[in-house]
Amino acid sequence: MTVFVESSADAPLVWIEVAIRGGAAADPFGLEGLHRHAGLLARRGAGGRDRAAFDETLDRLGAAIDVGVGRDSTTLSAVTLTRNLDEVVGLCADVLAAPAFAVVEHERLRRETPQVLDEIRDDDASLVSRWFDRECAPGHAYARTSLGTDASLPRLELELARATWQREVVPDNLVIGVAGDIDEARARAIAERLTDRLTSRAVPAPPDVEGVDPAPGRRVVLVDKPERTQAQLRLGHLGPRFGDEDTAALVLLETGFGGMFSSRLMQEIRVRRGWSYGAGCMLRRSRGRHWLEMWMATAIDVAGDAVKTTLDLFADVAAKGLDADETALARAYVVGSMPFHQATARQRMQIAVRDAVYGLPAGYTISLPGRVAELGQADVAVAAARWLKPASVVTVAVATAATAQTALAAAGAGPVDVLEYDAY
Amino acid sequence: MFAAPDGLTFEAESRIGRAQVVRRWRLDNGLGVIVVVDKTAPIVSYQTWYRVGSRHEEVGKTGLAHLFEHLMFAQTETLAPGEFDRVVERTGGESNAATWVDWTQYRLSLPAADLPLAVRLESERMSRLLLTAETVEPERDVVTNERRERVEDDVDGWLDEQLMSTAFEVHPYRWPTIGWMADIRAVGLDDIRAFYRSWYAPNNATLVVVGDVDEQQLLGLVRDAYGGLRPAALPAATAAVEPPQAGERVKRARRPIATDRVLCGWKVVGQGHPDWAPLELLTTLLAGSPSSRLHRRLVIERELASTVDVQLTPFRDPSLLRIAVTTARGHRAEESLTEIDLVIADLAERGPDEAEVQKAKNLTETDFWSALVDADGKAEALGHHETALGDFRTLNQLAERLAAVTAADLKRVVRQYLVPRTRTVIVAEPEPETEDGDEDGDEEGEEVGEAEGEGQGS
Repeated sequence: MTVFVESSADAPLVWIEVAIRGGAAADPFGLEGLHRHAGLLARRGAGGRDRAAFDETLDRLGAAIDVGVGRDSTTLSAVTLTRNLDEVVGLCADVLAAPAFAVVEHERLRRETPQVLDEIRDDDASLVSRWFDRECAPGHAYARTSLGTDASLPRLELELARATWQREVVPDNLVIGVAGDIDEARARAIAERLTDRLTSRAVPAPPDVEGVDPAPGRRVVLVDKPERTQAQLRLGHLGPRFGDEDTAALVLLETGFGGMFSSRLMQEIRVRRGWSYGAGCMLRRSRGRHWLEMWMATAIDVAGDAVKTTLDLFADVAAKGLDADETALARAYVVGSMPFHQATARQRMQIAVRDAVYGLPAGYTISLPGRVAELGQADVAVAAARWLKPASVVTVAVATAATAQTALAAAGAGPVDVLEYDAY
Repeated sequence: MFAAPDGLTFEAESRIGRAQVVRRWRLDNGLGVIVVVDKTAPIVSYQTWYRVGSRHEEVGKTGLAHLFEHLMFAQTETLAPGEFDRVVERTGGESNAATWVDWTQYRLSLPAADLPLAVRLESERMSRLLLTAETVEPERDVVTNERRERVEDDVDGWLDEQLMSTAFEVHPYRWPTIGWMADIRAVGLDDIRAFYRSWYAPNNATLVVVGDVDEQQLLGLVRDAYGGLRPAALPAATAAVEPPQAGERVKRARRPIATDRVLCGWKVVGQGHPDWAPLELLTTLLAGSPSSRLHRRLVIERELASTVDVQLTPFRDPSLLRIAVTTARGHRAEESLTEIDLVIADLAERGPDEAEVQKAKNLTETDFWSALVDADGKAEALGHHETALGDFRTLNQLAERLAAVTAADLKRVVRQYLVPRTRTVIVAEPEPETEDGDEDGDEEGEEVGEAEGEGQGS
């Protein structure tokens, strides 16, 4: 068990995070959504209380406990007024050690989850992310949905969920963070309370999240949705692991290319051409190799031009890296921005928990600006040449095919595959 | 406390958070300055709140206030295009802005050592913004794209716009803050310049500064940078009063969505009214937590909805208590509306018990403190209350009012405000599929109905 504590008396609040290693990436093939199902079920009644009694007890304390599922972990998050801390810790411990996994809640959740899928399909930004995750590097563990699919959801059985929870919620598989109005000794006592009813068993082997690069070549997936006035666009390919030896240089690159308002992508797409409200680029942070991703949302009539321009800009930065001014500005921004990312006790705790889940050395993220400060234009160019693959960019567009397909086909982004928006 | 620097007058003092002192000062030209010295991190949140929002616009020129949220980053007499963002980002800081009905705010988050830069940048664009076709036209395109993304292609944005434009017939709250698309495209440079001259002036603004600063040094910097700015002759306050709504209004339309969406709103008081506190607790009691009444009834017990959300819009003038529902597969909007009516009728008849009220207070207390955890959050809370309600101290008054609310207060506001004749309902329905699976090609199929003078409710 790993425990991080950050104290602050600014407000009478305490935050708790318990990250259980092994998130959606560990869902068995064909059982996508299993970790989410297990995590949400565990929160729906525990410690001898059914869901209604659990909710009522927690709400009367003015507190909240949520369970969320990411690619690499399932995380229990709680916030409480300091005066109610002991009771809320007891409820968190119940969720971890004694979830009810009631049949009635299992059946209800099986009916609910497809509706979340509906909500994603109603929201173009969420929809393009879901499709891009699937298409960027098929076969990669992160290409599989954490929510599940129409095919996988009916296969999620109660005993599978219970077994998943019991297998993974073991002390040595947890990363615990406590922050806020609490001192170190009390926080460590809380961590003990959270785990003292858990059985010490072997930690499950983590899933393989390295993946392999897809076959070279550009391609476009046009997710056809009716009546769109815009194209929601995602472009990218499989990148390195956050924590790779090139990470610092790539952080510099993503910042200069698409991480600031002054960055090249924002200036060319939004400021110079007015094509999109926003445009950006980011290396996704995870335990394994994840996407190097660009995004924007343009009017349909300029979607093809925007894709072509973005690909040209990406090819240029891949070949030459950033220029001297871009490098200097990005470096100053990364170094100068760190105080904002760790201004509160809760932020510092969350960074520490995330680093541990990703398997990074303690203090990795906090010390990253220090490494960035030592890098220059040449380092960025080397990393760009190594990791950016403009000839293998996958473009996913949520748009109306009847109005967008021709322009996208002429963008030089590769062959266009049109798929119905509710097919996944 | 130190003596007021020349040109500044001390006006008020209070507390925020557990013990931090808040002071308001005023420059001779009318600029308000609210300061909280917060040394928890080496940063400063420097926010400029202008008392101008979409309520100050005219028919045919909607979206002007929001357009400035973009133009204010463009170019000034001494800052070249793009320089504003570059100098901010070179520090590691961030800049952003927001516009709503009652205000526009500009936010700089900078390392504390760069406080003088914040003062220089904000004082510069308060009076020396360059407004030319070259700076305006690209941003006009960006705003049209923003509107497509947030309204035309977003069902929640569409519902919000329909609700306000249907519920309000006279008050400027009836048009969207981002503006109607036709107005965004048509507004001319002369109107843009006139809007800037009218509203961007020290006597229409408040600086809210929270962070690791020396208060006396800050005030000296502010006096030196802003002291020479001349106050403007502000336009007379318009006092559009929305007439009482005499009957429920219902609007339906087809949208490309999976299940019915409902957004309804009842006319309620503005944020400064004493009834705001019980209404805010009511929103928590209805849908603010897993055990709240509407969440339990609609989402868990009856499974009619996948989500339900209740909000009280924090506007200066009377606005809406809103309930948003995403219906579950196989269910229709009417079923959720019927259940909502039953829950409200029960509250009106029997009211909550004191334990339920205390639960809502505890949840609200957690939310209250959560919003004040960082410098930006404190500055935003103070800026909103100062600008929308006229005095930052209403923030603490609201906390006191919330603590004093009783079960009887909640029962009373339900009976007084949540009545059918003041309700507006917007329903978005999925487009029907034809036999071959294609859309039927109908236009939006909007229909609006109003039944003036229907039942007076519970």
